[in-house]
Amino acid sequence: MTREITYVQAVAEAIDEELARDDDVILFGEDVEEFGGNFGETEGLYQKHGRDRVRNTPLSEIGIAGMALGAAVGGIRPVAELQFADFAATAGDEVFNQIPKQPYVSGGKLKAPLTIFAPSGAGIGAGAQHSQSVHSWLGNVPGWVVVTATTPYDAKGLFKSAIRDDNPVFFLPHKMLSETKGEVPEEEYTLALGEAAVEEEGDDVTVVATQLMFHRAREATADLDIDVEIINPRTFAPLDTETIAESVRKTGRLVVVDETVERYGTQGHIANEIVENDFFSLDAPPKTIGVKNVPIPLSPPLEQEVLPSADRIAAGIESLF
Amino acid sequence: MTQNVSVDDETARQFLEGMLRIDIFEEETKERFGEGEIPGFVHLSGGHEGSHIGMGAAMGDDDWLAVGGARLIGQYIAKGVPLPDIMAELYGRVGGSNKGHGGQMHVSDIGRKLYGHAATIGSGQNPAVGLALAEEIQETDNVAVTTIGDGGTSRGSFHTALVFAAYWDLPVVFVIENNEWAISTPAESLSPDHLSDYGIPHKMATESIDGSDVEAVYHTVSEAIERARNGGGPTVIESRVARLVPHFEGDKETYRDTDEYERLKEEKDPIENYRERLLERDIVTETGIEDMIANIETEVKEAVEFARESPEPEPEAAYDHVYRTPLYGQGENQ
Ligand SMILES: Cc1ncc(C[n+]2csc(CCOP(=O)(O)OP(=O)(O)O)c2C)c(N)n1
Repeated sequence: MTREITYVQAVAEAIDEELARDDDVILFGEDVEEFGGNFGETEGLYQKHGRDRVRNTPLSEIGIAGMALGAAVGGIRPVAELQFADFAATAGDEVFNQIPKQPYVSGGKLKAPLTIFAPSGAGIGAGAQHSQSVHSWLGNVPGWVVVTATTPYDAKGLFKSAIRDDNPVFFLPHKMLSETKGEVPEEEYTLALGEAAVEEEGDDVTVVATQLMFHRAREATADLDIDVEIINPRTFAPLDTETIAESVRKTGRLVVVDETVERYGTQGHIANEIVENDFFSLDAPPKTIGVKNVPIPLSPPLEQEVLPSADRIAAGIESLF
Repeated sequence: MTQNVSVDDETARQFLEGMLRIDIFEEETKERFGEGEIPGFVHLSGGHEGSHIGMGAAMGDDDWLAVGGARLIGQYIAKGVPLPDIMAELYGRVGGSNKGHGGQMHVSDIGRKLYGHAATIGSGQNPAVGLALAEEIQETDNVAVTTIGDGGTSRGSFHTALVFAAYWDLPVVFVIENNEWAISTPAESLSPDHLSDYGIPHKMATESIDGSDVEAVYHTVSEAIERARNGGGPTVIESRVARLVPHFEGDKETYRDTDEYERLKEEKDPIENYRERLLERDIVTETGIEDMIANIETEVKEAVEFARESPEPEPEAAYDHVYRTPLYGQGENQ
């Protein structure tokens, strides 16, 4: 049985169910209690699970991320929110040097089963410091499992897995998708981390896209007379390269669309994996499409200018034929 | 000036022995580093031995230690990590506490509740707050002790940890080892009279003590731990010590005043002072100390032998421990 719920409801349900399932799970972050999160992602949780399990923190990402690390090592399973993904940088040392490295430098003896989640992405006019997609930053630091969500189905199933996973997981919902609706099973389910999903099958070109870009890629290909295979990587790190490579071996063409900045973005990394390992399956050079190499501006026409549009994606796909 | 001994004779002897163990282990470390056997940096603890041993003795086996500052080896020893595990880790060998993935700055031993060290100075305190939170949620009465140097207290993350610990009144004991230097930057130039004053705005208990006196550290940290265990919340302690060694091996210390340095060596050596104190009160004898030293030298020699004989890691081991695999659900649908 399925029903339609919004993406943000799916996020809240994931946390709710994991709090109910496992006493070791706790949620903390700024304004996660009555306020319920900027997008409603923690609404109702504190009333249901109480203040010991759902905690407002003082305003410091360093405190939130650092405390999550210690709590995880200490034997509980923290789920910690940063209000915007950009704030991974305000907890820079915790996010880049501490969390992903402490298990490694301990020789695997220390376990940090924590999840940090943070709404990412542009499109709501939030400006240069509240709009970034940061999975390229995080993907560059081995130790993080970096997970995104494209649909309500993904959001719930992947978030639940993220919470259960024994690695540090950075889970990145997209704020533009908050109110989008989709089918989600009534019954309990999880989705595997580290595995890409072939969302649409096709023979002519492989398009890799996630989050908002997935929906734009779909829009872009609706009117094209090209048989497109769309792959949603779901987990950016470690990346399921094999599912993408298998698809390119069939289609011979690759377009990677992503909301990270084009310069040193994830697009380039994914394309490179195929160029280095499956070069001879390519019939055309891979095409990468991302945010232009500028900070994200506020004014809607400017913001839309730098984000990949459906038209830009369509043109990118067509350029390969 | 003769000082009382405020602990029983057996404890007093253990304090002296503990400090000597740090000193002898580190002297050997310095030699081995000099001979090129130990890779990376080596920071020694000279002058901090009393602070380390007093703190370690005050802690229960189930209390966490999140190590900070740059005087690390003494703290690992004080938390009870076996010398061979530490030495082999300094050597980067398979038999090390962290299988060579960590090295001198990253010895951790989860079984002994040694969290490890944030080598980015001043980033270990928020994890310590998290460790205390985990203990509280698990309804134990264990506490988290975390150390930091005077230098590290200038990091915002340290102050954030005070905010967070105070916010939930968590069982955390912050020990600031003020040795007056952050490499070449003098703590004197920082504005508080005592660095423990940083706890005052958070309404925490604060103490500033002579950290070269092992007993003072033991009593003060014990009290703070007791308070934290009984729900009395966090404490900030300034343990005033002298850094009687270079910042790291190789530091020429051109920034230090020679006379002042000599004075500190005379007056603030925790081992020498304590040794005299115990001798004066007949708690130990010269031969007793010689026996102690001989035994420790044997332990240290064995630790070096263990490290030397422990294999270098296979290069492929570099890829271990990045992720715990399979990831959740991975491979289940195939
Ligand atoms: C964030 C950060 N900045 C700088 C350094 C380089 N560094 C290592 S130890 C040190 C001095 C630390 O002084 P203090 O905190 O007083 O500890 P102590 O060396 O006295 O034990 C510095 C600057 C570092 N490791 N981390």
